[in-house]
Amino acid sequence: MELRHQVIVIGGGPAGLNAAKYAANAGCNVALLDSAPRLGGQYWRHTGIESDDQSRHHNFDQGSLLMDAIIANPRITIYPNTTIWSASVINGEVVLRYKDGAFITSRLILATGAYDRSLPFPGWDIPGVMTAGAAQSLLKGSGVIAGKRIVVAGSGPFLLPVAAGLSSHGGKVVGLIEAAGKFAWLPEILSLLQNPAKISEGLGYLLTLRKAKVEMRFKQAVISAHADSDGLLESITVANIDAEFHITSTYSINCDVAAIGWGFTPDTSMAGALGLKEEVAADGSVVVAVDENQRASSAHSELHIFAAGEITGIGGSALSLAEGAIAGLAAADSRTNLRDLKKIRRKARRFALTLQRVYPIALGWKSWLTPETIICRCEEVTHAAIQSAFTELDADDARSAKLMTRCGMGMCQGRICSRNVADLLDSPDADRIKGVYRPIISPITLGELAQDGLL
Amino acid sequence: MITFTFNGVELTAREGQSVAAALIAHNERITRLTRAAGKPRGIFCGIGVCFDCLIIIDGQPNQRSCITEVKAGMVVAVQDGA
Amino acid sequence: MNSNPDAIIIGAGIVGATTALSLTNAGMKVLVIDRGNVATGTTSAGEGNILVSDKAPGPELDLALRSRDAWFEIQEDIGGGFELEAKGGLVVARSEDGLRSLRTLTAAQRIAGIDAQDISITELRALEPHLSHSITDGAFYPQDAQCQPMLAAAHILRATKARGGKFVSGANVTAITTNDGAVTGVVTSQGTFNAPVIVNATGTWAGQIAQLAGSALPIAPRRGFILVSAPTRKIIFHKVYDAEYVANVSSGDADLQSSAVVEGTQSGTILIGASRERVGFQDGIDFEILRILARQAIALFPILADIQLLRAYRGFRPYAPDHLPVIGEDPIFKGFWHNAGHEGAGIGLAPASAQLICDGIFDRPSFMNPTPFAPARFAKAAAS
Ligand SMILES: Cc1cc2nc3c(=O)[nH]c(=O)nc-3n(C[C@H](O)[C@H](O)[C@H](O)COP(=O)(O)OP(=O)(O)OC[C@H]3O[C@@H](n4cnc5c(N)ncnc54)[C@H](O)[C@@H]3O)c2cc1C
Ligand SMILES: Cc1cc2nc3c(=O)[nH]c(=O)nc-3n(C[C@H](O)[C@H](O)[C@H](O)COP(=O)(O)OP(=O)(O)OC[C@H]3O[C@@H](n4cnc5c(N)ncnc54)[C@H](O)[C@@H]3O)c2cc1C
Ligand code: FES
Repeated sequence: MELRHQVIVIGGGPAGLNAAKYAANAGCNVALLDSAPRLGGQYWRHTGIESDDQSRHHNFDQGSLLMDAIIANPRITIYPNTTIWSASVINGEVVLRYKDGAFITSRLILATGAYDRSLPFPGWDIPGVMTAGAAQSLLKGSGVIAGKRIVVAGSGPFLLPVAAGLSSHGGKVVGLIEAAGKFAWLPEILSLLQNPAKISEGLGYLLTLRKAKVEMRFKQAVISAHADSDGLLESITVANIDAEFHITSTYSINCDVAAIGWGFTPDTSMAGALGLKEEVAADGSVVVAVDENQRASSAHSELHIFAAGEITGIGGSALSLAEGAIAGLAAADSRTNLRDLKKIRRKARRFALTLQRVYPIALGWKSWLTPETIICRCEEVTHAAIQSAFTELDADDARSAKLMTRCGMGMCQGRICSRNVADLLDSPDADRIKGVYRPIISPITLGELAQDGLL
Repeated sequence: MITFTFNGVELTAREGQSVAAALIAHNERITRLTRAAGKPRGIFCGIGVCFDCLIIIDGQPNQRSCITEVKAGMVVAVQDGA
Repeated sequence: MNSNPDAIIIGAGIVGATTALSLTNAGMKVLVIDRGNVATGTTSAGEGNILVSDKAPGPELDLALRSRDAWFEIQEDIGGGFELEAKGGLVVARSEDGLRSLRTLTAAQRIAGIDAQDISITELRALEPHLSHSITDGAFYPQDAQCQPMLAAAHILRATKARGGKFVSGANVTAITTNDGAVTGVVTSQGTFNAPVIVNATGTWAGQIAQLAGSALPIAPRRGFILVSAPTRKIIFHKVYDAEYVANVSSGDADLQSSAVVEGTQSGTILIGASRERVGFQDGIDFEILRILARQAIALFPILADIQLLRAYRGFRPYAPDHLPVIGEDPIFKGFWHNAGHEGAGIGLAPASAQLICDGIFDRPSFMNPTPFAPARFAKAAAS
């Protein structure tokens, strides 16, 4: 089936929700697509059972108001459970394929969000080691506490709501391990105080953690994980680390879950498939390049393609909301004055950059690896295999390493490992951008592909 | 409450939960064994990105247990290799 | 480099790599130059089929038969590492017409020295249990083999370097210097290199390199797409394709031809290739072609309908108007050798092509008469 809409928004997280709302309010017919069954994205992930949802979320009121408004808006058609597997430009229009047909538009807003950034270490493939976001999504989306003894680790402000959420819902968090120093925020205090709402949110989490007697440790990192005889996580080795992330001493903790997050990686695959310009952001992640009005840069200048939220740079839900609103209005050619929204965006961006300075991720993690450490989880490619492709087969760029070792060739198509492989090879920016190109954004069956009469 | 089976054993779940979450609620953490080394794997990213939580659902392999909602009567099994 | 090499090879694809190894083994000091890294051209888009089955009797088949064995000799020589496997090819017929032409082809191929076995429906099922039930006839080619082309090029280059050869990557060749009707060296983005012998192994771009010297080669791109599935359990055991494919390979038509070649790889994925069309260096993915390939693959193996597609990619085959590779010395410039234009069979044909070039440079008899591949044939065609 071919479905045409004036404006199509992909992604029902904060950015996509606001983009849809603002574009519809400006008079456009909007389609809002998401692969998930419910709106909300990562931030407002919910079970759909009201009593659960109110309790598990900071700021869920704002989200449910927004989602209710969208569901009630006659100009917005919502397509849940709709995964776009490919995107291309045909005859001056964007064609977005889902399994039974295609959406067609000349005004597209991409808001496909981000996923946790992971660093490899020995044992990170043991069941029980997961991302911080995974623990969060189990709790928010299914009401399940990830384990019986949970360590939350990594770096960045996101660890606080994860640990606080788990402990306030009966989970036993046996430690919160942060790579940054306890007072790493001090040099940035002035700029942090510009955002009192976020600071008070953070203090709220700290209070919860204190009440639950969760021990917080700083300048430490999980550097290896160990399995029991069933192959499940039994303990982790934690290291004291210096500013470069090099190990100074170690000790161990028993736990059945280690929920580890090192910030986020934007999912720009759809932007890449459409040939939009991408760039490497200050934090080293590949992002979609946008102008003042969130418009992306395409070789097809007749197209109006916008990007909003985490795919233009990691910055949290407030920034996603502001960017979504601007993209929605711009896509609708609205003449609304964007000054106030742009001011909010500027402030949120500045705050995001400040946080990135407070929680830097140093390359010393490479010293945690052993030759046997898995780098590509899908294809089980070890650090040693990548090193030997590098030294013996001239595989000094990400593409060669991929084709010669199969790292990044598996089911996730390099989403988890490509950044780390680029870091291991000290790849230049151009290589990092090429490294995330995947024409098939999400797998479909050959039977679905083979259907007749589809674009 | 609904019921589904995992490796032939009947388990309960709450409607709307993901398959992975329903399994973890019963302390079942292994969704698959890897193709090359036969190592156990389970949920990792939790949001459908990493493909580590692959599992067999109603006879179909390679299903992501973290983003598939559990349904009454589902037949779920560990995926051995690909 | 302290002293000049004996030969410069432009292009580090499979053809350049095998040429470098042949010349090195024959005692020459070689320098391989590529604007990218090893195997960043068409070689990284190839499926790695080493086929004798898809060739009708003639010079290309003679080259293919020698090359197939030469692949196993290279494996002996350098120690493998590139997933070389004699898995065997299965060609199936899906119509009366198809069957008739397949039987004619196998008869001729047997005379030319190919082990081409006409097989019964029971044998067909034993070889490929998941083959569509509508297919009842076929031919089996035990000699058909396969390798992983990028790994092959990389390992061959590694061995070449271990034996004294050099490799400079990231060096774009921008000029070829000549003196008195003979080549003397190349100018690149990384400096000038001199040698009395220069081999043009730049595949689809070989025409441009010939032009740099002031010569010409009519080589054009023929685009192809390949589908790659998610890893699965082993359901396809050989390389399987429709007899129609043989006709497509040799078609001179610019329009799209497609008939799926389906095979399982050592990494557990299933490869489905490949379309053929002459549309220049047109970028992007044509989803209609992907759908056609999927349909054709499912027609051969209905079980594939439930298998997930993971990746799709395209490449540009180096294509000469008469479908034969260009192997030999340039008709204008002495010391300038071409080894290019292998179209959809460059992986399979590379080792024997390298042997022909090597024997040519050393001016000694080879395993076959190289005249059908001579670059001079185009000059003659243009003149008449
Ligand atoms: C697992 C996880 C949990 C998080 N939890 C929190 C939290 O509790 N608190 C917090 O402050 N921040 C959290 N974050 C940070 C989060 O990224 C931001 O707060 C915010 O949600 C970003 O909004 P967004 O609109 O840019 O993207 P997202 O909220 O990520 O929304 C993107 C949406 O796009 C959809 N999508 C992507 N690709 C496709 C496709 N091909 N076809 C169809 N749909 C597609 C996705 O399903 C998703 O719903 C979390 C991040 C992750 C990864
Ligand atoms: C979809 C598809 C499927 C295929 N399947 C098969 C198969 O199954 N079996 C088979 O045998 N063949 C197959 N082929 C064909 C095969 O891939 C090619 O014939 C073969 O790779 C050609 O190798 P090459 O070394 O000549 O060219 P390439 O690999 O393209 O190498 C040429 C090199 O020259 C370099 N170069 C170009 N210009 C310059 C310059 N100015 N300066 C420096 N360097 C330069 C390039 O960077 C490149 O690395 C397939 C091709 C395609 C497209
Ligand atoms: S846990 Fe990553 S895809 Fe399910």
